[in-house]
Amino acid sequence: MKLKMHVSALALASAATVGAAGTVQAWTLEEAAKPYAGTELEVLFLDRPGYNAAIKMLPEFEAATGIKVNYTTVPYENALGEQVRDFVAGGDLDIALIDLVWIGNFAENGWLVPSETFINDAALADPDLDMADFFPLILDAFGSWNGVNYGLPFDNYSGLLFYNKCMLEAAGFTAPPATWDDVMNTYGPALTKDGKFAYALQSKRNETQSADSFARFLWPFGGSFLNAEFKSNLMSAESQAGLKFRQDLMKFMPEGIVAYDHAETVNAFAQGDVAMITEWSAFYSTVVSPETSKVADCVAIAPEPTGPAGRKPALGGFSLAVATQADDAEKAAGWLFIQWVTSKAKSGQYLEMGGVPGRQSAYADPALAETYKFIPALVESWKDGVPEFRPRFAEWPAITEIVQEWGTKMMLGEVSIEEGSKMIGEKMEAVLAEAGYYDGKKPLAQ
Amino acid sequence: MAAPLQRRALWGEAAILVLIGLFCVFPFYWMVTTSLKTQIIALESPPVWLFTPTLANYWEVLFEDKVAPTLINSIIVAVCTTGLAVALGTPAAYALARFEFRGKQDLWFWFITNRFVSPVVLAFPVFLIARETGLRDTHAALILMYLTFTLPIVIWICTDQFRSIPRELDEAALLEGASQWTIFRRICLPLAMPGVAVSSILSFIFSWNELLFAYILAPKAAKTAPAMAVTFMEGYDVPYGKIMATSTLIVVPVLIFAMLASKHLVRGLTMGAVK
Amino acid sequence: MTLRVPRRTIAAFLGPAVAALALVGIAPLLYAVWKSLHYFNLTKLAQQRFVGLDNYASVLTDPVFWQAMGRTALLFAISVPVQIALGLTIALVLHRPGLTFWKTLTRLSLVLPMATTYAVVGLLAQVMLNEKYGVINQMLGWIGVDAINFIGDPTNAFIAVILWDIWQWTPFVALVLLAGLSTVPPEIEEAAKLETRSDWTVLRHVQLPFLVPSLVAILILRTADTLKLFDMPFTMTRGGPGSATEFIAVLIERVGNRQFDIGLAAAQSIIMLALTIFLARLYIKVFYKEVR
Repeated sequence: MKLKMHVSALALASAATVGAAGTVQAWTLEEAAKPYAGTELEVLFLDRPGYNAAIKMLPEFEAATGIKVNYTTVPYENALGEQVRDFVAGGDLDIALIDLVWIGNFAENGWLVPSETFINDAALADPDLDMADFFPLILDAFGSWNGVNYGLPFDNYSGLLFYNKCMLEAAGFTAPPATWDDVMNTYGPALTKDGKFAYALQSKRNETQSADSFARFLWPFGGSFLNAEFKSNLMSAESQAGLKFRQDLMKFMPEGIVAYDHAETVNAFAQGDVAMITEWSAFYSTVVSPETSKVADCVAIAPEPTGPAGRKPALGGFSLAVATQADDAEKAAGWLFIQWVTSKAKSGQYLEMGGVPGRQSAYADPALAETYKFIPALVESWKDGVPEFRPRFAEWPAITEIVQEWGTKMMLGEVSIEEGSKMIGEKMEAVLAEAGYYDGKKPLAQ
Repeated sequence: MAAPLQRRALWGEAAILVLIGLFCVFPFYWMVTTSLKTQIIALESPPVWLFTPTLANYWEVLFEDKVAPTLINSIIVAVCTTGLAVALGTPAAYALARFEFRGKQDLWFWFITNRFVSPVVLAFPVFLIARETGLRDTHAALILMYLTFTLPIVIWICTDQFRSIPRELDEAALLEGASQWTIFRRICLPLAMPGVAVSSILSFIFSWNELLFAYILAPKAAKTAPAMAVTFMEGYDVPYGKIMATSTLIVVPVLIFAMLASKHLVRGLTMGAVK
Repeated sequence: MTLRVPRRTIAAFLGPAVAALALVGIAPLLYAVWKSLHYFNLTKLAQQRFVGLDNYASVLTDPVFWQAMGRTALLFAISVPVQIALGLTIALVLHRPGLTFWKTLTRLSLVLPMATTYAVVGLLAQVMLNEKYGVINQMLGWIGVDAINFIGDPTNAFIAVILWDIWQWTPFVALVLLAGLSTVPPEIEEAAKLETRSDWTVLRHVQLPFLVPSLVAILILRTADTLKLFDMPFTMTRGGPGSATEFIAVLIERVGNRQFDIGLAAAQSIIMLALTIFLARLYIKVFYKEVR
């Protein structure tokens, strides 16, 4: 008896040691994925460089794990609707693609599984995961809500100033504008002539208007959508100054700018009709490729101009999270994929293939800045950015519609800046009141 | 004198006809030529009329961007809904043409007004119902929903067609003891074939062209071609060549059908209101 | 002239069709009506609740809704008369004797626009009306007109939709009127032509009465189709710039698909449906009796 106990005790002890040694020894993807080989994952992708990079990496993942990732490419404007309908109808998406502004919405509806569930699972968590390696700003902005993290940053952007250094040099400038005032007073007039324009601001009546056009001229001027009590802050002097500035700046932009979405704006730059644009970093490959750009050799990058309140570049991006509606095998497999595609080990490859990883270690090598000219500006922007660039709460879909409608009306001159701001303010507050933010039913989180 | 005046008038008329023809056909010409351009050529300003064409857009669109499966889906849905509409609609049309019963006018009106209903009205409820019944993203969902406009077309045209078949044939058969069903199947239906053919072609065309239901109900597996075309619109580039290639692929089958049925198309489109 | 037959027979012939349409037409409609009485937002399912006629009240007092209806009505009021005028002219030309080869060719080409997928028309419009790369502006340049910004300017975008609607449906109107013209007994036509040199008089007094059924059919169908108009403006401008081309069907799609307020979209749809049925009934009652 005693012997048996001793033996079993010894066995237990050795098992523990082996177990401990096992975790230290090697968590491998292959091992972790063994139980899930053959699982198929459904996810939505966009038709953008980051996703194309991931798609190229998929065969490697499948070979290592036997997990197949089935992606469906949809336009950005449809991605929210498709996912909402899928989650409401109990469809088959296993991984959620979360835009920065959807995180509040998705999280509050309970459609996402907190990442902690997987991080604490020794079988699934990669010891090399190193959450601290992600830029804190984007981990928070794209993947977390109310203090809980759900998604890992996957397709990451910052607003950057793309400028045509040939056109600038021809007009006598040796450097890009440092402030928005420079753009308005010096660069604008000098570069807008002979059918060319100094600047183009994508302003189409969809998310582009809210995110790219409207928000871009609030924050650097010290304005914001909401104040601390969650009431509209659009009538503040700073917000008004910013919006008026934008309206004024339109004289240096091509006609009909309100119909310009990303494609049109980037194209105008790539065709050499516009000297400067403030667009997402993801367009870097489009403007430097001779197949799509006439100005490939003249492209230079800088951080966005500063306003009176400093540099508050546009922030945007998508994280990937595991969907609650997936079954257990799919959840585990989904986590393994998300973890792998955003991992330190893969970030170099992701960058090379056209993606923009969200890890600080990915940009540590100074030599990379030579090949990828956007890196210095990007890193700087991610250090300074504002997570609430666009309020991210669950009511954002309703609010963005309001901003899109009245923001474009302002630009078209159909309504004055004050009028438009007042309308947006009133309607925003109505939405928030309805949702219970003002009587304490909901915490003031954004 | 009369002769030269007439000839000049004829030339004038021919010129007008050619103009009308060009007016109709020019956009298609532009669509096809753009589909043969690479992106750089397509983005020339002003646009070029002479260039080296390439079939690359079609290749990419069919195989890389997976437009081919959507075309197949479109075919499946259009054929099945047409078949179903004819199977259900011809007996109903026969009844409306031949039988007498109360509420006939109202029933006929109800059939017809279904054609006037905008898919927007039904799309969201159907989406939710489809989720309950597990029919989301299936061909069946589209085939059934398209009945809301294919069935009225069949009924309206075939009712007219049946009405114009002389009664004597029916009466003769009745005297011999034939049932209504036999009369329908053996006598009237064969004679009504022109109407059936026209309504089938129209039903095919309208199903093929339908966008909203397809967009909402069939996002992936059963996606049809028009829904796919819309997907190109808001990627990060606007690949004009590929968009036009997809458009050409979508439009060509329908145009061929339309030209085949052109003689009867008017009757069909006005639901036989004008002979 | 029609037979009385046992009810069972009637049921057998009509039953399947009625059942099918009831299933796909009525069932969703009832569901839509039910949902229109609730606050039902896909992203806020937890807050779903019965609100009675609140949705209808907000729709009917919403300026955005009425503006969309206004735009739709304006589109109809402008494009349909133009289509009829142009269509009649084309029909009259095609109606004359002679030049059969050219006439057949023209008739075939007239068939193309109306059979085209509406979504494709919108995409094609985008390509052809582009300010820089569009062929329309190029051709305007040939006659000395400056490039016009179609898609980016609210008024021009609206006009563009009208122009494309005219392009797509004038051929249809022409063919319908041509068919109508062919119902005029040739003897009467010839007699009239001998009595007066004026084509206009012939048209007014001889041909027009025979054209009434065609005109009615055109009115009914164009009304219904204009209220349903979605695909073309959606793919051309997505309802923009601003709301310049947001017709009623485009608005409802936005409310349901982007704001996810299904209850409100349902209310809007029901109102639109009621209007369509009312108009259809009206047209048919007033005009169709003549045809029958």
